[in-house]
Amino acid sequence: MSSHRRGGLFRSLIAGTAIAAVAGIAAAQADSITVYTSYEEDELAAFLERMEEDLPDLEVNVLRLSTGDLHARILAEAGNPQHDVIWGWAVTSMVDPRIQDMLEPYEPANIDRVPERFRDPDGRWFAVTGYMGAFCVNNMVLEDKGLPMPSSWEDLLDPVYEGEIVMPNPASSGTGYLQIASLLQMKGEEEGWEFLRALDKNMAQYIKSGSRPCNVASQGEYAIGASYALRAIKNINEGYPITMVIPSEGAGNELEAHGLMASSDNKDAAKRFLDWTLSDAAVDEYYNWKEIVTVSGGSIPQNFLDAGLPEDIGSVMYDMDFAWSAENRDRILEQWQSEFESE
Amino acid sequence: MAVSATTAGTGATRKTNHDRMPMIVASLLVGVPLLLFIVYPLAFILGRSFSTPEGFGFDNYLSMLTTSRFQGILYNSFEVTLVSTAFAVIMAYAFAYAVQRTLMPGKNVLRIVALIPLFAPSLVQAQGLVLLFGRNGLINRTFGTDIDIYGYWGIVISMVLYVFPYAFLILSTALAVTDSRLYESAKMLGAGPWRTFRTVTLPSTKYGLAASVFVCFTLVITDFGNPMVIGANYNVLATEVYNQVIGQANFERGTVIGMVLLVPAAVAAILEKYISRRQYSLVSDQSRPLVIVPDRVRDLAFAGISAFIALMILSIVAVVIFASFVHLWPYNMTMSLRHYAFDVQNGIEPLWNSIYISLMAAGLGVVVVTASAYVIEKFKSPVTRPLYFLSILPAAVPGMVLGLGYILAFNNPSNPVYLIYGTLIIIAIANVYYYHAQGFLIASTSMKQISGTFDEASATLGGTRVQTLRKVTLPLIAPTLIGVAVFFFMRSMVTLSAVIFLITPQTQVAAVSVLLLEDRGATNQAAAFSVCIMATVVGFLLLVRLLLRLAGIKNVSLIR
Repeated sequence: MSSHRRGGLFRSLIAGTAIAAVAGIAAAQADSITVYTSYEEDELAAFLERMEEDLPDLEVNVLRLSTGDLHARILAEAGNPQHDVIWGWAVTSMVDPRIQDMLEPYEPANIDRVPERFRDPDGRWFAVTGYMGAFCVNNMVLEDKGLPMPSSWEDLLDPVYEGEIVMPNPASSGTGYLQIASLLQMKGEEEGWEFLRALDKNMAQYIKSGSRPCNVASQGEYAIGASYALRAIKNINEGYPITMVIPSEGAGNELEAHGLMASSDNKDAAKRFLDWTLSDAAVDEYYNWKEIVTVSGGSIPQNFLDAGLPEDIGSVMYDMDFAWSAENRDRILEQWQSEFESE
Repeated sequence: MAVSATTAGTGATRKTNHDRMPMIVASLLVGVPLLLFIVYPLAFILGRSFSTPEGFGFDNYLSMLTTSRFQGILYNSFEVTLVSTAFAVIMAYAFAYAVQRTLMPGKNVLRIVALIPLFAPSLVQAQGLVLLFGRNGLINRTFGTDIDIYGYWGIVISMVLYVFPYAFLILSTALAVTDSRLYESAKMLGAGPWRTFRTVTLPSTKYGLAASVFVCFTLVITDFGNPMVIGANYNVLATEVYNQVIGQANFERGTVIGMVLLVPAAVAAILEKYISRRQYSLVSDQSRPLVIVPDRVRDLAFAGISAFIALMILSIVAVVIFASFVHLWPYNMTMSLRHYAFDVQNGIEPLWNSIYISLMAAGLGVVVVTASAYVIEKFKSPVTRPLYFLSILPAAVPGMVLGLGYILAFNNPSNPVYLIYGTLIIIAIANVYYYHAQGFLIASTSMKQISGTFDEASATLGGTRVQTLRKVTLPLIAPTLIGVAVFFFMRSMVTLSAVIFLITPQTQVAAVSVLLLEDRGATNQAAAFSVCIMATVVGFLLLVRLLLRLAGIKNVSLIR
């Protein structure tokens, strides 16, 4: 009996080796690049489908991980980077000096389409898309509990919402950080911290993920989940009875940037890909999927407007100072944790 | 005491020159891979924890460990871990006792149910708890109650369910074999059932108990998934590692906590000496297997306890399966298959990758942990204790930390392991070593029960160690080994935390597909994909069983 089992082991080992070998050969083909991205999986599939039409001879292998997972992975692999391009990744993470040092300045064709304030002055990255903070408010829960519909951050201080609001923990979620960073920037630090203290009284949970607050509000666990607009739109499309509320003070936001790895040994192909990311076709797709596109061109899809996104996004976006957000991150998180996370 | 008659001088130390050579070879065969795949990556992690802007120093430790916030988190971690461990081990002992020592009905089904948490993607448990016990969950809506699952008790409940099968596997092994003469003697001496349990059963499973406490303790203290989903604002060490490494890309602080988490493993390694010193070998050349006599009251009582535990595990999985088939839980409960139209990257191809990885991990895992257990149990040498420590060390390492260590150590063209970096093989190896402690403790619990008298008898009859191993030891522990293989297979199908650092575009696995779907908000599709993974595992077990039957191998239980 034991020999029977051993045979099975060897067979599976051999099978595994063969598969791995095939995978390895595929990766080594001439015009293929590896791209790391944090674009969500459905967006990514649509982008890639469009790209394959335009660049049929380029094989793009994409690894999708969340912003934080990717940050850790890229830093850990720094000694021998495995990717050629970073695509659609939070600017607040991109400006980490340890990351910027790995990038090679490159100005793709059509770079002029991207307004200068969305580009690294040294040309190492450029931001084409982004996302912004929004509340997911469950209509059924509001009705059951007789609560009013909030329209701003200020409204959330109303004691009627006590224990009914959840937001992401800024120490573990980029979405959480962009929300408190926007509040501190628009109100100034002193008033901003006062506001966060008042908000804390109504807060049921600081959830350690950026999308989960919207998901739990969608399921009716809480009335209000501070999250981001695209999550709200997708959950509305899924059929959940929620309303997307963009805070009237202005929505905090994060941009997603692209950059070329200096370590890439296939830079021509990588550059072709980056050029494509600013092509008309790519911009069209961005408009189909993203609430913020920094390049003019396409138009906002109808289901975004139906979900409550205004046509003029600029009017509801708060003009974030990303450099400030990045530089003060450690200090702000430390203060936030000591005030709101002390057990 | 009656038992002392069978107490074996474990190890049967006969240190002749003839014996030394195989001991050295065997220790190297077991020790070198452990050093390569555990210690070497951890050395990089250790290095990071001492790396400061001013160079090597203790600043990271000082600035982390002295804050009152950290001490609060430390306290939280221990509180939640000790309570969860106590619940899980007591429940698992009762369940394992019911399976191995009673004649309760429905054993085979209950065994599979006990193992469900091992092959349910972590999403299932988290989502199931919220669907059942959330503020808008099934219980509250049905009974109009006001249960709030989030926080301390939520973590405890989810942790108990998560670690229960690990404890069950070890304790089931510990209770599987015994010598009926012990029980006959106890009866003759007039001991009642409780006294027999206290003086015979409990002491004979002492090592299994200690091993399961260690496994549960380390699993709970290193898990961040459950506290993240259901812990609300209750922070523990593992979520703090996540905050630092993933939330803030601060490896230095994350690795400091990673190092703190190794302390329980060190403590356990020291305690093991005292616990196993008086472990009795239960199967000796003269022992007779226990014949379980029917006892209606006992059988029904244990059937009740087991059914209750099984129901808890099942209800959580069942509600997720059910939710995956309704249009939109809880707002539109009409039946629908729409969540099963998987429009995710590569479709179900990652499921195949997972199956290959799991098969490799099962085969490799059995060989590796059996070798470790054999060398540690049968060769007493100066390296036995270090080898034991290395064998259980991985349990104390959070998967995220091990994954980082693998990148730092092996993503380097001058390292020979780089040849398999980025392949399915390295993922399988990472799984084997990530779960090494649990597999090893199941195997060694089984091996400890085999008396050294077999080795002596075999040697007297002119048999070599290899012959004894092949003809005596392996056949005796074979059922356990199949269980170990099933264990590695099940975990490899769903584990995520270390794997996420090792996947490449070409080596996507099923658990990552679940994550991709969940991340993009398609929670119900993610649940449906999880259901497919669970169905694959169950289907696979049935297939293997069928093949064994066809091959004429009967009486082999895949799940011990």
